[in-house]
Formats: sequence, structure tokens, C-alpha cells
Amino acid sequence: MTEQPTPTVDDLREIAEQVWAAYLDPEGVRPFLVGEPGEPGTAVSASVSLTGGWHGHVVVSCSSGAARHAAAAFLAMEAGEVSDEDMTDVMGELANIVGGNVKSMLPAATAVSLPHVVAGADNRFPTTRRICELSGTWLDEPFSISMWQGRGLAEVPAA
Amino acid sequence: MKILIADDSRVMRQIVIRTLRQSGFDGHEIVEAADGREARDAVLSENPDLVVSDWNMPEMTGIQVLGALRAAGNTVPFGFVTSECTPEMQNAAEAAGALFFIIKPFTPERFKEALSTVLG
Repeated sequence: MTEQPTPTVDDLREIAEQVWAAYLDPEGVRPFLVGEPGEPGTAVSASVSLTGGWHGHVVVSCSSGAARHAAAAFLAMEAGEVSDEDMTDVMGELANIVGGNVKSMLPAATAVSLPHVVAGADNRFPTTRRICELSGTWLDEPFSISMWQGRGLAEVPAA
Repeated sequence: MKILIADDSRVMRQIVIRTLRQSGFDGHEIVEAADGREARDAVLSENPDLVVSDWNMPEMTGIQVLGALRAAGNTVPFGFVTSECTPEMQNAAEAAGALFFIIKPFTPERFKEALSTVLG
């Protein structure tokens, strides 16, 4: 089997820096701090699936508090004005942006799905393994971006 | 001018509209479409002066919308704002007649650079 490319945590960091600079922290005063994410509490998880030339998922997960801050930043609102729909839409868009950028590193035939968002429960991806994760905190809230590769095609043991 | 913003993400449509304003292109009439088919239909019914379209949308992709419009003889200025960027996509967009290809995440400066020839 042809060896598949594997995006790295450095790739995720570069994408995250662009997302923060454009939307979440355009003034450079509320950075994403890479490190231990801590317990997310009530979590929000958004993902897009990649299929075709590469099989797996890109997942953006954070606390509901971070999702609320993200929605406020994206929509130029106060955090207290953010609705559940705002949070869901923004988290889906975050996954879409990260997934779309990751796609450019993968084989040409790879397609990106529309986003899927889960709130208040774990988002699970059977027969995959996590190949890289960028985790840390944003505004003291846990935040992570991870990539999960289909094990059947990767032919590698689970982590 | 009338600008059609086509993106299945409500959030991204709002961000595109805000970024247009931040990059100095305010005062234009905005029309929105939430999928590719809506975008194609809106071009025909609203006759916009510019289309700013996502690539990956339900019903029709952005490149399918552009292809359908050009096949029907419609020459509305059309550009993409998308998180997906491969050389194949950029080549396809250029070949189909797209004026610009803006990659998400984007800045107001990138909008200004890409749209100044269209919006002045």
C-alpha cells in the first residue's frame, strides 16, 4: 500500500495561528496558549470527514465557554448574546476551515464533508487513531484541534 | 452595486459581509444564498454585479454554479472564498472564469487586494 501523508501538529499550529489572527484574536491580545488543555467540562466538538485520497477526520473540541467566546468573536457579538445555534454554526465553520486547509496537504482526490457538531457528549470515531493533536487553552478554557486517521487504510496499531 | 454572497454557513456569510465592510467596500446591496442552487437561481433573479461564493456547498458546488452560469451565457463577475485550496481547484476556478480565489481564513487586506479591480 502506498504510504499516506500525515499532517503534523506543526501543520495544525500554523492553521490555528491563521484562524486566531483572522477571527478569534485579530488584535493579538487573546492568543491560543498551547499546553495542557485541562478538563473541558461540557464539551462542544465539531468535525469534518476527509474521504477519497485520505480517510479520517479533523476535530475541533473545546468547552462550551470557549465555543461561546468563539461565536462572539466570529459574529462580533457579546458572549452573553450568543445563542446555541450561533455556537453550533461557528464550531462547524471552524472545523470546515481547519479541514479545508488540511485538505491542501493531502492527496488531490480527497474530499471534505460538511461539518458535524456534537454538544454535551463525546464525539467518537470508530476504527481511527489520533495522529496529531494541538491542545491548550484559550481565555482559560480548554481547546484542541486533532486529526484522526482511518486505521484500516493506515495499517498502523492504535495509539 | 449588488453583491451575492453564497455560502451554506450563515456564520461565514456574516463574516464575508463584515469583511467587505472592513476592507472599504461598504454601501453595496447584499443578497445571500445558502446553497449552490439558491446561488444560481439568485444570479438569474437578482442579476447581481458580483458573486462571492464558497466552493463546497450542498445542492451545487461553487464551481458547478459558475459552470452552469457560463454555460447559460451569464458573465457575472464571480470569485471564490473557500477553505479548500488545491492547485487543481485553483486551475479549475481560473479555467471556468473566476476572478479571484480567496482562502479562509482571510483578512480584510486580502479582500481589498482581490476585489479592488471589481469593486473599485
